[in-house]
Amino acid sequence: MGIFMVMIAGMLLGRVHRLRKVKPWNERLSMLSTFVLIFCMGVLLGRKENFLQELTTLGLQSFLFFAIPTILSVVLVYLLTRRFLKGR
Amino acid sequence: MLVVFTILSLFLGLAYGLSGLELGLIDWVSNHSDLVLYLLMFTIGISIGMHDGIIGKIRGYGLKILMIPLGTTVGSVAGGFLCAWILGLPLFPGAAIASGMGWYSLAGATISNLGGAELGSIAFLSNLMREIFAFLLIPVLAVRCNSAACISAAGATSEDTTLPVLLKYTNEETVVISVLHGIICSFFVPILISFFFQLA
Repeated sequence: MGIFMVMIAGMLLGRVHRLRKVKPWNERLSMLSTFVLIFCMGVLLGRKENFLQELTTLGLQSFLFFAIPTILSVVLVYLLTRRFLKGR
Repeated sequence: MLVVFTILSLFLGLAYGLSGLELGLIDWVSNHSDLVLYLLMFTIGISIGMHDGIIGKIRGYGLKILMIPLGTTVGSVAGGFLCAWILGLPLFPGAAIASGMGWYSLAGATISNLGGAELGSIAFLSNLMREIFAFLLIPVLAVRCNSAACISAAGATSEDTTLPVLLKYTNEETVVISVLHGIICSFFVPILISFFFQLA
């Protein structure tokens, strides 16, 4: 819940017209935070016991369990939104 | 360029984690990644706030907007059944794995407890891949399909980590829908995992 409160606080701050000139800097900070988060995810994985071993033994099965559900989700949502939510 | 930096960040993090090095600042940041997530959500909030008339536009869609999380959830579960069938695994645990929809930490831990270490590892890795590949898929889907398809690819992660990529390749309106989508999908993840293991 706290995370959404932080986001709402950001939305309220974003309404302040005077701050609109910081938009490019805000976008840069946003991207930087994402890269730092992905880096942290990498650190977490690198420190996970047997990560590389698991990746080599269960990698293909895991890839299928990622790819097929993702493809079906995307196709279904694409078709639904084209049919019922034109313009999305 | 964004994709290159995404991959680079992941590999640098992996290399650091595997190296066993312990550098003060990097360790502090990686142990407090929740603070980075707060910063990210704050900046995303500012971007949304700067855009006029978003809430009105989203209201205009009404309940039809729920079609996106519904489609993501149904597609993921159906994909889980199909994968399990292809790989000769039990069907319901297969559906449970795909029900993680990218929430790798929860899916990995829960399925390890309910279905054993091997299924737990598959759940962890496959849901991790969903998050990582979302960064690579969103730019392509934004051009080839539509913004709803981008949100769907991100699954439950559409409420946080994948938001900046969505913002870059779609628009502020999509980001608000994406947060709503992520909240709904994340709500269903633990429910679906438990449900499919009860049926197993």
